[in-house]
Amino acid sequence: MLQNQNRPKTFLVTGATGFLGSHITANLLSAGHRVIVLARSKNGQTAKNRVLQLMNWFGLKKSECTELTVLEGDLVHPGLNLEPGSLQLLAGQVEETVHCASDTSFSARRRKQVEQTNVQGLINLFKILERSSTRKFHLISTAYVAGSNKGLCREDFVHPAGFNNVYEETKLLGEHIAAEKCARSNVVLLIYRPSIVYGDSTTGRTLLFNALYYPIKTLRFFQKLYLKDILENRGNKAEAMGVSLLEDGTLHLPVRINGTGSSWVNLIPVDHFVKAFMAIGEEKKAEGVFHIVNPENTEIHQLLKYITQYFHLSGVRIAGKDTFDKKPKNALELLFENYIRVYSSYMRDTRVFEHAKTSRFLAGKNIRCPDFTYDVFSTCMRYAEEVDWGRR
Amino acid sequence: MFSEKIRKTAAQCRHYAMCKIDYLDTGICSSGKENHFVSHFPQGRMDIYDALAKDLIPITQGLVEIVNSCDLCAVCDTQCHFVTGMRPVQVMKALKEHVQDFISSGKKPVNVESDEILENLRMIVGSRWAENDPAILVAYANDPFPLAELRMPGYVALPGSRDEVSELVRFAGSRKIPYVVRGNGGSVFGFVFSDGLVIDMNRMKKIEIDTENWTALVEPGVTSFELQREAVKYGLRANTAEPAATVCGNIVCTGLFSTWAATYGVNSDSFVDMEFVDHEGEIFRLNEPDAPNSFCYQNRLSTAPGICTLAHVRLHPTTNDEEGLIVPFSGFEEAVDFAAEMNKRRIGLALGILGGHYLSTFMSPSADLADKVRSCLGDTLGIKYALFMIGDRFDREAVSSLREPLIDQELFRMFMLGLPGMADTEWIELISGMDGDNPPFETILRPEMRPLLDAVLNPSPETAARAVDEDLRDFYTELYSRPEMTDMVWLNMFRIISARMSRKKHMFAFLIYVPLNRMDVIKEICAELKRIADAQGIENDFGFLTPIDLGKRAILEYDYYIDHQDPEEKEKIRRALTEFDPYLDKISASTKGVKLLKYIFSQGCARKEAFLYI
Repeated sequence: MLQNQNRPKTFLVTGATGFLGSHITANLLSAGHRVIVLARSKNGQTAKNRVLQLMNWFGLKKSECTELTVLEGDLVHPGLNLEPGSLQLLAGQVEETVHCASDTSFSARRRKQVEQTNVQGLINLFKILERSSTRKFHLISTAYVAGSNKGLCREDFVHPAGFNNVYEETKLLGEHIAAEKCARSNVVLLIYRPSIVYGDSTTGRTLLFNALYYPIKTLRFFQKLYLKDILENRGNKAEAMGVSLLEDGTLHLPVRINGTGSSWVNLIPVDHFVKAFMAIGEEKKAEGVFHIVNPENTEIHQLLKYITQYFHLSGVRIAGKDTFDKKPKNALELLFENYIRVYSSYMRDTRVFEHAKTSRFLAGKNIRCPDFTYDVFSTCMRYAEEVDWGRR
Repeated sequence: MFSEKIRKTAAQCRHYAMCKIDYLDTGICSSGKENHFVSHFPQGRMDIYDALAKDLIPITQGLVEIVNSCDLCAVCDTQCHFVTGMRPVQVMKALKEHVQDFISSGKKPVNVESDEILENLRMIVGSRWAENDPAILVAYANDPFPLAELRMPGYVALPGSRDEVSELVRFAGSRKIPYVVRGNGGSVFGFVFSDGLVIDMNRMKKIEIDTENWTALVEPGVTSFELQREAVKYGLRANTAEPAATVCGNIVCTGLFSTWAATYGVNSDSFVDMEFVDHEGEIFRLNEPDAPNSFCYQNRLSTAPGICTLAHVRLHPTTNDEEGLIVPFSGFEEAVDFAAEMNKRRIGLALGILGGHYLSTFMSPSADLADKVRSCLGDTLGIKYALFMIGDRFDREAVSSLREPLIDQELFRMFMLGLPGMADTEWIELISGMDGDNPPFETILRPEMRPLLDAVLNPSPETAARAVDEDLRDFYTELYSRPEMTDMVWLNMFRIISARMSRKKHMFAFLIYVPLNRMDVIKEICAELKRIADAQGIENDFGFLTPIDLGKRAILEYDYYIDHQDPEEKEKIRRALTEFDPYLDKISASTKGVKLLKYIFSQGCARKEAFLYI
C-alpha cells in the first residue's frame, strides 16, 4: 500500500464496492486518509458490511478501518437517498471526491440504466457537492471515451465523431459535465482514463473477472465441459462439435475468432492503475486528463498464444471473414462472435493512446506500467483458477 | 400427539383435487376411487388431520373407516409432489397412527347418529352415498381461499343420476335445507359452502363420445382430464380447463377458457346443449324453446340456472402434424402485439402469453429449480414473456417466417430434460457476461447453438430427476422417459403442469376479459394490480394472456400469491381487496371490452358476444 506523503485528508469515494473504487478506498485508508464512501446495500447485505468485507479482502482489518465511514445511499436518486445527517457530513468535511461509480454495461438495451448511473448519478452527486467543501474532484473515466476515433487518441478533452457503445458515450458526457461543474465551482478536476484493467501483476489477485477474463473464462468453460464429456460420457457431444483430446492432454477446440492478428489490446494491471492514481492525485499541480495506459500494446495473436499455452488448448485461432463464408460458425464460435461484436473496438483495437503527460508524472515517481508477459498472464490465470473465477 | 410440522403440511393442501385423477398413470387412491367422498381421498385426509389437530372434529366411526381404507400405497405422494412439491403420505401415516393409538388406548370412536333428514337423503341416493359424519363433512367445509372460514355442512350426498339430483333438490326445497353443489368435491374460490347439504357430483362420471358429430355427452362428475383422455382415443380434443376441474362445473361457473380459446372460443362456444335440474327439481335443456335463456348475459352477480346434470360438449379435430412452439420476447407490448396478430391471421390453434413465473414453474419439477430457472430465463437470457402456441406445420412455418429465434418442440424437450443444467452457475455467468445489444436468448436459441446446449444441459430423464428429492428420482426418471411428459401438445391438452402454478403459495387469480387493441388498458390493469399488491407486500405477477375472437379481445390473468394459512397474509389480502375490488368494478363498468370474471360467474353458458361487446 502507498504511504501518504501529505497531510491526511477527508475523501468521499463513490463506487467503493466496485473494482477500481475498492482498490482506491483501500489505498486511501492505508495511506492514512479519512474515507467516506457512498454505497448501496445489496443481496441482503448492508452497505457497511459490503465495504468492510471488501476491505478485509485487501487485508485491512476492522480496526484498520476506523477512518472509514460508510453512508448508505444511491447516486441515481436526487439527494442520493441520504439522511440529513449524512448530507451534513458531506457538506462540512469532504475535501476531495473520487467518483468511481459507473455502470460498465456496453449494451444498448441497458441504455437507460447506464445513463442513469453514469450521467444522472454524476449530476446528482454534483448537486450535493455544491454545498460541500470539496476542492478537488477525481473522476475515473476510461481511455475509450475516444469513441470511434482512429489512430492517436489525445490525452485531453475529446469530441469524437461517434461511439462504439453507450458506456463510452456516457463516460465522455460525464467528463464534460464534470468539467463544466468544476469550472463553475472552482474545483480542481482530474480525469483518469485507464485502458483495460486486469488483476494485480505480481499476485494475480482481482475482484472482477470480466473484460480480459471473460473470453478466457468462456474457453475454459468449453474446455471443462467437453473434457467431462470425453472422460465421463463417451465424448459424443464433444465429437459432434469436432472437439477431441490429443495424446499430450491438449484439448483440440475448434474455435475460429473473427478478426486479424495485427490488432491489439491495451492492458494495465490494477496495481499500476492504483499507483498511478495515488501519485497523480497527490500531485498538487496536477489537473486535467491522464491516460493511465500501457505504452506497450498486446497483440491479439500473442494473447491467444498465452491462452492456448497456459490452458493446453489447440484449435483456437484468429480467422478472416472469408473463412466463415466457406464454413459457417459453429455454436462455440457464435458465442464468441456475440462477445467479440460487443467488445470489438477493444479486442481489435488499432488506436494508440497518447500518454506523454501521465508518463512524465509517473516517471518522476519511478512508476512504470509492467509488461503483459506470459509470466504475468500465468500469475493472473493461476489466481483465477484458484478462486474458481471469483466463485470462491 | 400431533406433529405441528405434519399439520402444517396438511393445512397447505391446495384443494386442487389432483389426487382424484390418474394424471400420472400411476392409478389413484383406491379408497377414494371406491368411496367417492372427498374425505376418502388424500385431499380429504389432509383436511381431516388438520381438523383433528385443531380439535374441530372427534374421532368418529366414519374416520376409523377412512383411515382403515388407506393402505399407505403412497401414490398420493408422487401425485401431489408433481404439482405442489408436498409429500402427503407423511400425513396419511400420521393420521393412521393417531387413530390406531386412540383405539389401542381402549377409547371408542364416536358413533354419529343418523337422523330423519339423513335417512331421507339415503332413501334418494342409497345408504352408502349420504353422510352426516363430521370426519366426512369436514372435507367439504374448508377452502384455501384466504378469506373463507371453515363452515361445516349438515350433510353430504353423492347422487348417481339426474333423477337423484332432482329428488335431492325437491327434498331440500321441501325442508328448506340450503344446498350447494360441488363438481368434484373441491372448491378454491370460497363460494361453495353451506350449513345444509353439499351435493357432490363425483359419482356421475359417464362420458359418451359421438364420433359422427365430434361431440361428447358428459356427466357432472367428469373432469377435464378424463374427458380429454377419452376424446384423444377418438383422435379428437376437448377445450378443457384445469385437469381436476369438472367440465360441467367449469362451463356453468365461468365458461371454459384456456389457450385453446384462441380457436375454440369461450362460454357457449364450448357446448351444443346442457341439461339442468332447476331449483324446483324440474329437468330442462337449454335448447328447449321454453327453457330459461341462459345464453343471454346480465351485468350483475348472478346465480346458475340449476344443477347441470349433463353437458353436450363440442370436440375438435386434430391433425398429426401439430406441435408446440414458444416465441420468446423481452417486452410485454411486443409479445401482446404479436399474439394479437397471430389470432387476427388465424395462426395457431392454442395461443397464450406466459410470464416468467408461469413458464419456469410449469417446466420445473421443483419450486427451488423454478426460482433459478425463472432468474435464468428472465434476467440472464432476457426472456421476460413467451408466446406459447400449438399449431400444425403451416402455423409453425408462418411463425418462423415472422420471427426468430423460437423454442420448438425439440428445444423445449431439451430444456425440460436438462433444466437443472440451465440453472448451472457457470453457464449463467457465461451468458450474463454476454453484454450485447440484443437479449442473449437471440443468440442462445439459434438452431446452430443446439449442440452446445446439448452439452451444457445434458438433457435426459435422469438429469431432469436431479431436481427432486433423492427418493423420488427413480420415479421421476421413469416419468420423464415418457414422451408425453415433454410434449407441448399433450401437456397443453391435459394441462397437468399448469396445476403447478400454486406450488409455492396459494394463488389468488384475477381473470379479466380485455380489449386486445387497448394496450394502455391492459398495461394499466396490470400496473394497478401490481401497485396494490406491492403496497401490501403481496407477491404478485402477470399470469397469462390469451387472445380470443380473432384478436379483438383477450383473457388476462394477473395473480397474487399468498400463504392462505398465514393470518398476516390473509389480512394483507383483505386490505388489498378494499382497493382492487372497486378499481376492477370501475374499469369493468367504464371501459368497453373490459369484463371482470366475477360478473360472469354462474353465467358461463352465456354467449361471449353478450358480454364481450357491451
